[in-house]
Amino acid sequence: MKKIIAFAVVALLAMSMCFAGGDKESSADGAVVKIGFIGPLTGDYANYGTLCRQAVEMAIDEINAKGGVNGASIKLFAEDSEGDSQKALAAMEKLSSSDKVCAIIGPVLTGETFSVAERAQAEGIVIITPSASHKDITNVGDYIFRTTPSDGLQGEVAGKYWSQVLGYTKLAVLYAKNDYSQGLYESMSEAFTQDGGQIVAAETFMVGDKDFKTQLTKLKNTDAQAIYLPDYTAEMAQILEQAAQLGIDKPFLSGDGFLSEEIYSLAGQYTDGVVYTASARVEESNKNKEFKDAYTARWGIGPDSFATNAYDATYILVSVIEKVGTDRKAIKTGMEQVKDFEGVNGIINFAPNGDLVAYQGIYEVHGTTPEYLGAFAVEDGKLVQVQ
Amino acid sequence: MLNFFLLILIYTCIYAFMSLGQNLITGYTGMLSLCAAGFFAIGSYTTAILMTKFAWSWWSTVPVAILLSALLGVLIGLPTLRLKGDYLAIATLGFAEIVRNVINNWDALTNGPMGIQRIPMISFFGLKVSPYSKYGFLLLEVVLLAICWFLLERLVKSRMGRALEAIREDEIAAASVGVNVTKYKVVSFAIGAGVSGIAGCLQAGFVLSVSPGSYVFMVSIMVLCTVVLGGMGNFLAVMLGAFIIQFISYLPQLIGLSSVIPAQAKQIIFGLILVIMMIYRPQGILGRKKRDNSRAQAFYDQANGDTRNAGRKDIGLEESGAKCEEEGRV
Amino acid sequence: MGSAGMFFQHLMNGLTLGGIYALIALGYTMVYGILKFINFAHGDILMVGAYIGLFVFDLLRGSSPLGPWWIAAFFIAMLVSMVCCAFLGMLIERVAYKPLRKGSRLAPLLSAIGVSFILSNGAAWLFGTHSRKLEYPFDNSPISIGSVVITPHQIMVLVVAVVMMVLLKLFVGKSKMGKAMRATSLDGETAKLMGINSDMIISLTFGIGSALAACGGMLIALDYKVYATMGTMIGLKAFVAAVVGGIGNITGAMLGGFLLGLLETFGVAVFGIPQGFKDTIAFAVLIIILLVKPEGLLGKVEKEKV
Repeated sequence: MKKIIAFAVVALLAMSMCFAGGDKESSADGAVVKIGFIGPLTGDYANYGTLCRQAVEMAIDEINAKGGVNGASIKLFAEDSEGDSQKALAAMEKLSSSDKVCAIIGPVLTGETFSVAERAQAEGIVIITPSASHKDITNVGDYIFRTTPSDGLQGEVAGKYWSQVLGYTKLAVLYAKNDYSQGLYESMSEAFTQDGGQIVAAETFMVGDKDFKTQLTKLKNTDAQAIYLPDYTAEMAQILEQAAQLGIDKPFLSGDGFLSEEIYSLAGQYTDGVVYTASARVEESNKNKEFKDAYTARWGIGPDSFATNAYDATYILVSVIEKVGTDRKAIKTGMEQVKDFEGVNGIINFAPNGDLVAYQGIYEVHGTTPEYLGAFAVEDGKLVQVQ
Repeated sequence: MLNFFLLILIYTCIYAFMSLGQNLITGYTGMLSLCAAGFFAIGSYTTAILMTKFAWSWWSTVPVAILLSALLGVLIGLPTLRLKGDYLAIATLGFAEIVRNVINNWDALTNGPMGIQRIPMISFFGLKVSPYSKYGFLLLEVVLLAICWFLLERLVKSRMGRALEAIREDEIAAASVGVNVTKYKVVSFAIGAGVSGIAGCLQAGFVLSVSPGSYVFMVSIMVLCTVVLGGMGNFLAVMLGAFIIQFISYLPQLIGLSSVIPAQAKQIIFGLILVIMMIYRPQGILGRKKRDNSRAQAFYDQANGDTRNAGRKDIGLEESGAKCEEEGRV
Repeated sequence: MGSAGMFFQHLMNGLTLGGIYALIALGYTMVYGILKFINFAHGDILMVGAYIGLFVFDLLRGSSPLGPWWIAAFFIAMLVSMVCCAFLGMLIERVAYKPLRKGSRLAPLLSAIGVSFILSNGAAWLFGTHSRKLEYPFDNSPISIGSVVITPHQIMVLVVAVVMMVLLKLFVGKSKMGKAMRATSLDGETAKLMGINSDMIISLTFGIGSALAACGGMLIALDYKVYATMGTMIGLKAFVAAVVGGIGNITGAMLGGFLLGLLETFGVAVFGIPQGFKDTIAFAVLIIILLVKPEGLLGKVEKEKV
């Protein structure tokens, strides 16, 4: 028995090594451009990393099918960070020094992005995160870019919209004690209280929590006019459902966690009436829809906003490589010069610090279908609609 | 590949400090603790906070980190006077979770879930021990580890070491020959905790950022694994255990397999290796079968607050009757 | 809502959460009672149970409209899932734990961690990393009693948890198998001498424990969705509950489960501390309980003999 198991494992390892070896040979045929990806592919955050990896993989397959870049085919090296800084750093190390990739898409979570960003800056390799939205991340250095709006931006538009358009003066918040959720809450709260609004209750939970009834029971008994949920999709679905079970009839407000199609399959009719902020939608472009359809057809599940950002990040990176080649420093300079890139998220530009220049869209859900209410920006503390 | 191997060694050293501490507590004194993540977190955050908010040098944060971890160790050590085995394990696990929970929620001090970034590099007389050039950092780790190892070996060879082993083998017998069980248990926890805290300082100095996600329950489990896998009660063995655990978990990346196979496969292989290793060498890589089995048995029984079986294995049938009568009286 | 209403609402929420902890704690406590080791893979068996239940339920109900058939299908799915998990539990015991029974107590713990890695990552590999929804087999609209809101699901959780406990208590206390189990738990070697097939009994215990996990998994899945790591945290908490109740004791596991659930909901409310500290409160109270009663709430006091 023992011997059989041991033999099976050895055989498995040997086999996979053969595959690994075989892979190298086949890639030696033509020129290869190596791109890395870092994200949580296992563990509690596995879904966010996996959705992004699939988007990157899809983009690369599409490009390769059209003949690659500059006659070379692109090869993806995807590494698992398990959502932990130490593991993410190891992944970065492996991609940078063993695989010698020319640039990296990712990491996905804020904590791991901070540790990887420091190292990327020191080694001089471009990283483009599709999702780490903490406002300080791009300030680590000039090799750090992102295709997701900074929390500062999304929270600001959210806070101003709740007070200036919806006319709320008292809000309750239920947020996760993690970097994404708390970051969004803090910047929303700042903008909202500037307008004289008041956060009457802010309750927290831990990612992975399943029961929100205690917090919701508390929020139900406040005089808040609405409840803001700057949370991840999975938790938000449960919150909405449990809120309905507790008979809470206050309206709900949310952020780009709502952009995932998954929310509608998990929370169903409870999503009705939710107003949320997310990247502004591209008007008169089928690109977004085409991407979503292709993604769903290939992976059996729709992309979330991070995956969409990762898809854009890949195309931007490839367009830069097409112009400047695979030199790491040249890629950085090339990234700085990206102008009006047409992605599935619309026209993309980077601010001098590597932040995404973006407008925020406001969406309102009817039943399980979001309606787009337009793009907004904040100028001198006033919310203005952008065309 | 060499570069990546050095990284594995660096991580091994970080874990090795925790393994040493865990070995003193579990391997030598026989107390099942699941608090390594707690000590690790305290060490990391002490260094991170003192270096970023108060501009201390890394070296001066280490004694503070050791002291604070040891303090937590004492705090945890106190319940051990009443708790045994799994009850103790749960109490220590509770402490570790409390530490993580407080770190995640005490925004003013720890910056909450955002963590602390931009920790300065360690410098040694003006010389930067950069985590980017791995040799320097590794050298620092190895020197510190060697010092710790030396001191711990001295400790367990001393009167105190014998007292700890006596407690592990049989607490009541130890007490009856005059070993101050209370004192030694708490001291063992304090020293073990202090040593584990150093791992945290090094982690902060290497990753240069800390966030609560790195100090989860799984870390405590992995540290326990290093001790069991290496061989309980043997400092060299547990350091080897730390290497093996790190080596297995990073092996797919080392040989370039990780970007070829699905990410889950890597974890499944890790799980398989754990199971198989335990089936083949339940006493650990360097654990000697005979001796360790009796130790393990004693640990097993003590953990259940039950010394009957330990007694029964050693005594003949004719004696066991008398033994049982005696039990009735006690 | 008045403060009395708040109190009863928290009480109801705490009891449901506790009911789930209790149900899972039962499995832990049974295995521990016999083998004296922490089956770390228990939470993952729960997850496998939830997946099996989900697939069978979706297959059975097909496109039929919500009705009595759904409830029947749900319980059939639960039965199938419990049987499958019972076999899975026995298989795991046979392969990963049995060879280690003689050695250190920590070796099976590590082996269990390995199994946990294999199960949770295997599931993520096979079924994907996204969450799936298990539909309620009944209309889960909340019922208001005064100002307190209760869902049919909450009632079901409580009923199933209590029924399972009573059944288990009867089985272990009254049946011949149960007697053999208790004998094996007390002293495996002697039980063997008395003609009890202790290997079979251990296998059976694993089977029953795993079936209970599957049952708990399906109940949780209704409220909390199905995904590969769903069992980890809840398994850990159930384990804590089992220990606090006095590990090895069935009533104790139930008591510990309900206590933990109530602590999590009430702890913060009573102490007036931010919700984020709920785990701190819960664990601190648990540690204090253990200090007062080191063998758990209902654990047997084992006198040490020299």
